[in-house]
Amino acid sequence: MRARARLLLLLPFTALLGVFFAAPLLLMVAISVSRQSFGELQWTFTLHHYARFFSDAYYIGVLWDTLVLGAIVTVASLLLGYPLAYHLARTRSRWKPFLLVAVLSPLLVGIVIRCYGWMILLADRGLINATLVERGWLAKPLPLMYNRFGVAVALVHVFLPFMVLSLTGVLKRIDPHALEAAMTLGASPRRAFLEVTLPLSLPGILAGSLLVFSLAISSFVVPVLLGGFKVQVLPMIVYEQVLSVFDWPFGAANAFVLLVISIALIAVYIRVTERALRGIV
Amino acid sequence: MDRALEQGASLSEARAADVSLRGLEKRYGATRALAGVSLDVAPGEFFTLLGPSGCGKTTSLRAVAGFVAPDAGDVLIRGARVNAVPPHRRHVGLVFQSYALFPHRTVRQNVAFGLRMQRTARVEIERLVADALALVQLPGHGERYPRELSGGEQQRVALARALVTRPAVLLLDEPLGALDKKLRDHMKIELKRLQRDVGVTTIYVTHDQEEALTMSDRLAVMRAGHIEQVGAPREIYETPGTVFVAGFIGNTNLLAGRSRGGAAVECAGVTIATAASAPAAGAPVTIAVRPERIRLDDTGRLDNEVAATVAHVVYQGETVRYLLAADGGLELQAVELGRVRFPAGSRVRAGWAAADARVLLS
Ligand SMILES: Nc1ncnc2c1ncn2[C@@H]1O[C@H](COP(=O)(O)OP(=O)(O)OP(=O)(O)O)[C@@H](O)[C@H]1O
Ligand SMILES: [Mg+2]
Repeated sequence: MRARARLLLLLPFTALLGVFFAAPLLLMVAISVSRQSFGELQWTFTLHHYARFFSDAYYIGVLWDTLVLGAIVTVASLLLGYPLAYHLARTRSRWKPFLLVAVLSPLLVGIVIRCYGWMILLADRGLINATLVERGWLAKPLPLMYNRFGVAVALVHVFLPFMVLSLTGVLKRIDPHALEAAMTLGASPRRAFLEVTLPLSLPGILAGSLLVFSLAISSFVVPVLLGGFKVQVLPMIVYEQVLSVFDWPFGAANAFVLLVISIALIAVYIRVTERALRGIV
Repeated sequence: MDRALEQGASLSEARAADVSLRGLEKRYGATRALAGVSLDVAPGEFFTLLGPSGCGKTTSLRAVAGFVAPDAGDVLIRGARVNAVPPHRRHVGLVFQSYALFPHRTVRQNVAFGLRMQRTARVEIERLVADALALVQLPGHGERYPRELSGGEQQRVALARALVTRPAVLLLDEPLGALDKKLRDHMKIELKRLQRDVGVTTIYVTHDQEEALTMSDRLAVMRAGHIEQVGAPREIYETPGTVFVAGFIGNTNLLAGRSRGGAAVECAGVTIATAASAPAAGAPVTIAVRPERIRLDDTGRLDNEVAATVAHVVYQGETVRYLLAADGGLELQAVELGRVRFPAGSRVRAGWAAADARVLLS
């Protein structure tokens, strides 16, 4: 009875997941191997669209750019987020709740507004460049926007909370005495960090990085607004193929490639963490 | 045992270190965690800091380890002032109540850590780690992870890890606090044996007076950031210097009264003969008498005797504790070995020798 009641409670969510996630996903896979002629889908099986993707240097290039962008955003979030998370995990300050809200604040602002905010700062006539040029410190504005830099900055801004939260949870669980024990055993503070804190925070680093990377490679609005179509990423190709070119099968194949990359990452993550974390959890 | 002695020898420092604290002060906001702590620990001594929660035991220990920078005062190891020496160069071994083993390292790697930091040769590390694990009676556990060990085993790994580098001082902060009673009793003996075999100077922190009395060569009773009394366990137990020490160590009858000059004190209308002469007549004093020193209906002559009614009998197995209401209003506790001789309500004569009545300034 209990078990059945519990299953019953799971039903709405399972149904939601099935209808709005699993079914469209299957449909997408089906479309990606179908043929399209004169706007009509023909339910066949062909790998033509995948072959087209992987044999065209342009698409390979975009895929590569997407992954590089993801890597840059991930590394930057990690480097910025780690000290922040460390402080959050250890501080006993009464300002901690405010700090936490500040860390989460990017998530409280709509994505378009956030992007326009960055445009105001980064544009050629934006706050930063205008100030620098007016003061005569620079002859020409710095290229801060409509390039990979601008996109990365805006992406790091919004994904940082995910990294910080993943790290804080893990860092909090590390016994501060373990670090002190390492020091009394002759490890300098730096060495103690490398030998104890860093390996023990590996689960958080991996979880946060994975989250940020998957989110970054599938982001669409930020690359469009801050990249100004000078930065091409895979989600933009998908959008273009489906909504401008109306080549649904090819768009679906692109989307599926993106999905497979994410899934592969998760698989690697699980394997790596299992091995690296023997003893930790 | 002989083998253990040998291993102990391989881990012991050529010359045990002495440790001194000189007038240590430490403030945390409004809290005075240390209010002038001074003590000298002899080489190879098992020295205990005993006191109630929050009295500054951990803070003192962490000052020796280098994790607490005192506001004033000095820490000396082997006579050298180490205030400015960072923790990783002080060469102390520290064992926490939570053990603080490295969860991502095996037992062997945990124990080898300190040796690795000292850049000891590989082969030498192997040998010393094996020795240390044998010393704490955990051979064959090297490849396990800490979470695969019981609390008592983790405790021993923490000890082995701290001892293997031959520290100048071994610092133990309530290391038995997380163990159950039976294991604690076992580890108490084990720990003392280890310490004696290795001969390392040890500072032990506890709020358990029984641990302090049974394990220490000497102990310091602390209270609110300062030291009340330092001495051998017997000295502290039998001749407490202050009301606080008398009350904190063991169960004691504390009788408030007024000095009558000479070696006599008046408590609730009863004149009590005391060991030492009391201060000037009229001064308020407290008399401390251990419950086991109070004789009930003793045939011999005792210096002090009061008539009393047994108010309560507490049966404790090995011993029986009587709560007595003496005529005149004094309340006394007496402890006897063996069976219950007086049921509640009986009239008894309670007596004690003048030598067992210590005068403490109130
Ligand atoms: N880092 C700190 N910040 C603020 N106050 C502290 C800090 N460390 C210790 N204190 C305060 O200093 C006093 C002494 O603390 P300490 O930890 O030395 O006590 P203790 O004798 O070890 O007690 P316990 O038996 O509970 O462990 C306490 O009042 C404590 O609240
Ligand atoms: Mg403490």
